[in-house]
Amino acid sequence: MLTALILLPVAAAVVMMVVPARRQELHLPLGIALSVLPLALAGYVFWIFEPAPGFQLVELVSWYEPWGINWFLGIDGISLPMVVLTTFLVPIALAASTSIKTKTKEFVVYILLLEAGMIGVFLALDLFLFFVFFEAILIPMYFIIGIWGGERRVYAAVKFFIYTALGSALMLGGIIALAVSYSSQFGSPSFAFGDLASVDLSPGSERWLFASFALAFAIKVPLFPFHTWLPDAHVEAPTAGSVLLAGVLLKLGTYGLLRFNLALFPEASVEAVPIMGTLAVVGIIYGAVVAIVQPDLKKLVAYTSVSHLGFIVLGTFALTSGGLQGAVIQNVNHGLTTGALFLLVGMIYERRHTKKIEDFGGLQKVMPIYAGFFLFMIFASIGLPGLNGFVGEFLILIGSYTTLPALTVVAAGGVILAAIYLLWAYERVFTGVPDKEENKALSDLSAREISLLAPIVALVLVLGLFPGILLDKISPSTEAVLDYIEDQTAYVVPEPGRLADVYLAGEDR
Amino acid sequence: MITPPEVSWIAIAPDLILALGAAVVLLVEVQWKPAARVLGLVTAFSLVLAVGATLLQKLAVEDAMLAADPERLVAFSGMILMDGFAVFSRFALLGATVLGVLTGWRYIEGLGRRGAEALALIMLATVGFSIMVASNNLVMMFLGLEVGSIALYVLAGMSRERPESDEAAIKYFLLGSFASAFFVYGVALIYAGTGKLAILDIRAFFDQFIVTSPTVIYIGIGLVIAGLGFKVSAAPFHSWAPDVYQGAPAGVVGYMAAVAKIAGFAAMARILLTALGDLDSIWLPIVAALAALSMFVGSTLALVQGDVRRMLAYSGVAHAGFIMTGVVGGETQGILFYLAVYAVQLLGAFAVVVAVSGASGARSSIDDYRGLARRSPGLAGSFTVLLLGMAGLPLTSGFIAKFGVFTDAWNSGYEWLVVVAVLASVIAFAFYLRIIVAMYMDEAEEEAPALVPTVRWVVGLAVVATIAWGIFPGSLLDLAANALAL
Repeated sequence: MLTALILLPVAAAVVMMVVPARRQELHLPLGIALSVLPLALAGYVFWIFEPAPGFQLVELVSWYEPWGINWFLGIDGISLPMVVLTTFLVPIALAASTSIKTKTKEFVVYILLLEAGMIGVFLALDLFLFFVFFEAILIPMYFIIGIWGGERRVYAAVKFFIYTALGSALMLGGIIALAVSYSSQFGSPSFAFGDLASVDLSPGSERWLFASFALAFAIKVPLFPFHTWLPDAHVEAPTAGSVLLAGVLLKLGTYGLLRFNLALFPEASVEAVPIMGTLAVVGIIYGAVVAIVQPDLKKLVAYTSVSHLGFIVLGTFALTSGGLQGAVIQNVNHGLTTGALFLLVGMIYERRHTKKIEDFGGLQKVMPIYAGFFLFMIFASIGLPGLNGFVGEFLILIGSYTTLPALTVVAAGGVILAAIYLLWAYERVFTGVPDKEENKALSDLSAREISLLAPIVALVLVLGLFPGILLDKISPSTEAVLDYIEDQTAYVVPEPGRLADVYLAGEDR
Repeated sequence: MITPPEVSWIAIAPDLILALGAAVVLLVEVQWKPAARVLGLVTAFSLVLAVGATLLQKLAVEDAMLAADPERLVAFSGMILMDGFAVFSRFALLGATVLGVLTGWRYIEGLGRRGAEALALIMLATVGFSIMVASNNLVMMFLGLEVGSIALYVLAGMSRERPESDEAAIKYFLLGSFASAFFVYGVALIYAGTGKLAILDIRAFFDQFIVTSPTVIYIGIGLVIAGLGFKVSAAPFHSWAPDVYQGAPAGVVGYMAAVAKIAGFAAMARILLTALGDLDSIWLPIVAALAALSMFVGSTLALVQGDVRRMLAYSGVAHAGFIMTGVVGGETQGILFYLAVYAVQLLGAFAVVVAVSGASGARSSIDDYRGLARRSPGLAGSFTVLLLGMAGLPLTSGFIAKFGVFTDAWNSGYEWLVVVAVLASVIAFAFYLRIIVAMYMDEAEEEAPALVPTVRWVVGLAVVATIAWGIFPGSLLDLAANALAL
C-alpha cells in the first residue's frame, strides 16, 4: 500500500514522459488527473489508519543485506497528515500552473517526481532510505526553480540546492556514525529507525549527532539564522514550486526534527530545548519584523513562513503534549494557508506581472471575490478562532507555556506581529480607491481559480471547527514520542503538560 | 641448475590475447593497409576474447576458493596473482577499454593510417595495467606500470597537428617519468629494508619481524605513495591532469583517465593494504592527508574552470581523494566498487564531451553546452545523470560508492576525513550544477550536435549503469565484496 503511494507518482511521471511533447494542451490536464490517484490512495490510507501509537501498514524488503539497508516503510500519526497534505497540494499546484507555457511536459514530470520523493521522506523508516528521498527531492525542485522561475532563477536554484545539500551532507555523516556505532554494538548492520534509536551513545557524541541532524533540518525549516535561501527560492520559484516549497518541503525540516532528533537523541534533545526554543522564537519575531517591511508580496509571504515555522519548532521542543500535537497540526495548517497565499499571489501576478505592494491599491473594489479569498486566508494565517491556524497556534502556545514560559510570552508577540504585517499588506493592496489605471481593468477570479481555492478553504474551515478529526489520529503518536523521551531520560513533562494531565483535571475536579 | 618457472597460461591469458591483438593490428596494417573497420574488428575480437579469458579466470578463482587452495592462484613462481581482486580489476580495465575504443572510434578512424597505432597503443596500455593489477612482485608491478604509462604518453600526443596535444604529451611524459622514478626508488628502499620484493613475502615479513630501524622503509612507503598518487592524479601530484585532459584527444582521454585510476588504485590497495597492512599506523595518516587535500583542492579548483574537460580533470582529483578515503577505510569492496562506478561515469561523460565538442578538438568550453537541453534533450539528460552520479546524488551509483567508502573510513576511525569528504562533495555539487545550469537554464545558440552511433552506445550504457547500480547496487557490491586480494 505505502509502496504504491510512492510509486504511483513515479508511474504517473513515466506515463507523462510517453506523451508527445508537442501535445501541450494534454500535459496539465493529464498530470492533474494522474495526481489525483495518489490523493485518492492517501485518502484511503487516512480512512483505514487506526488512531494508535506505533507504525502501521509497515512494509519491509531487503535492499542490500550486508549493509543492512532496507526498503522499510510505515506510517504513524506524525507522518499521516503530511502524506495527505502532500497528495492534496500536488493536484492544486499543477492546476495553478496554467501560466507555464514552455516545456510543460517536463514540468509535470518534475512535479510528480517531487511528489514521490516527498511522500518517500515521510514514509521511510530506514535512515538510508530516508536520506535517499531527502536528497533526491532536491533535483526536481532545483529544476522547477531553475527552469521555470523568475529572473534570478539560476541564482536562487543553486543557492537552494547548495544550502540544503550542505545540511544533508553533514546529516549523512551523522547517519553513518550512528550506523557504525550500531553495528559495533549489536554485531550486525542496520539503518532501521527503531534499531538506531537503541544505540548507546556517549553524551558527547549524542550532542554532535544531534547537531548534525538538527542542522540539516534547521536549514530545511528554515530556522533562523539558516533561512537566507528561502526568500530567494520562494520569490523566483513558479507558483506551483512556491506552493510545494512552503506547503511540503519546509515541513521536511520540522518533521525531521520531531521524528528523528527527538527519538534518536532524546538526551541531547532535552538539553537542546533552550537553544532550539530560542532560535525558534528569534525566527518568529525576526521573520515577522522583516515581513512587515517587505515591498514584495511574495517575499512577504515567504518571510511569514520563517515566522510561522518558528512556532512549529517551538512547539516541538516544548516537549509537551500540546506542543507536539500543535506542531504536527500546524504543519498541515501552514501548508494549507501559505500554499493558498502563494496561489493568490500567483494569480495577481499573472494579471499584473508585478508583485510589488505599491503597485496595487483598492483591489477589493475591482476584484471582490479575490479580496474575499485573500482576507480569509490572512485570517487563517493569523489564527482567527474557528479557522485552522488558531488550533495549531493555540495548542503550541499552551503547550510551550508549561515548559518555556518566557519564550512563549515573546512568541505570542509574533501572533500580534502576524496580524500587523498581513493586515497592513491587505490594507495597502486591497482597501482605498483603485488609483492606478492598470488596476482598474483587472478581472476577478475565474471559475477555475475559485475551484482551486475552494478545497483549501473547505479544509481550513473543517480543521478549524473539527480539529478532532486530525488530532485523534495524531495524539497517540505524539504521546508515544513523549513516553519514549520520559523513558529514556530523566526528563519528566511538568504538569499539566501531558494530555493525561488535562483529561484527569477534567474528571477529578 | 636453473629450473624454468612453472607456466600458468590462464593467469596471463587476457594480457597475452590483447598483446597478440595489438601485434596483429600493427602487422595487418603494414601488410594489407585495410579499412579502419577491419582493424576495429580485430580489436573488438581481441577484447571479446580477453573478456572471455577473464571470465575463465573468475571461474578458476571460485574453484580455488571452494577447494580452499589459494596457493593455486599464485603463478609464475609468485610473480603473478590470479586472485579475485586481480580479476575484478581486469574486468574494470577491459570494460573501460571497450567503452574507450567505442568513444574514440570516430577519432581513431579519422587518424587514417595512424589509426592502427592508436588501437595497438590502447590494447598495450590495457595489457600493462592489467599486469600491474595482477602482479605480486613490486618490480613486475613497475614493469606493468611503465608499459601502460608509456602507451598513454604516446596516446596523449597522437593529434600531432595540435600543439596542445604535443604539450599534453610532453608534460605527461616528463612528470610521469618522475613519478615512475619515485615509485621505483620507493620499491628499492622497501627492498633494502625488508629484502623482499613479492607482496605476499613482504606481508609475511612484517608478520614475523619487528623492524628496529624502519626509516628506510618509511621513506620507501612515502615514495611509493607519491608515485602512485601521480598516476591517479591525487593532490598535490595532480598538476599534469588538467592540461592532459584538455590537450589530449577527447576521444581517448576518458579511457586514459579511467584505466590509470583503476590500475593506480588497485596497485595502491595491494601494496598498502596487503603488503604493508601491518604498518598502517605509518601510511594511514599520509593517505588520509592526501585524500583530504585532493578532495578539497579538486572540488574548489573545479569550481573556477571554464572548460568542461579541465573541470572533469579537477573532479578527477576530487574523486581520487574519495577513493583514497576508501583506502583509508581499508576495504577493497568499497575501493573496487567506486573504481568501477567512476570509470563508467567518466567514460560516459567524455563520450558526451566528444559528442558536443568533437573527437579531436580541444574546444570544450562550458559555453558549448548552453541550451543543450533544447538542442539535444537526450544528450543533456544523459549528461545530467552522469554528472549527478559523479556528484554522488542518491539513486545514482555514485551515491552508493561514496556511502561505501565513507562508512569504511568512519569504521576505521577517520571521522574527520569523512566530515571533510561530505563537505567536499557539497562544493563539488556546485560545479556539476554549473554545467547543468548551462544546459538547462541558458538559451541555445548552436545546432544540435550530431551523435556518432558508437558514442551514443557508450553514453546510453553509462547512464543505464549509473542508475541501475544506484537503485540495485547489490549484484555489483557482491562482486566487489568477493573480489578479495590474497
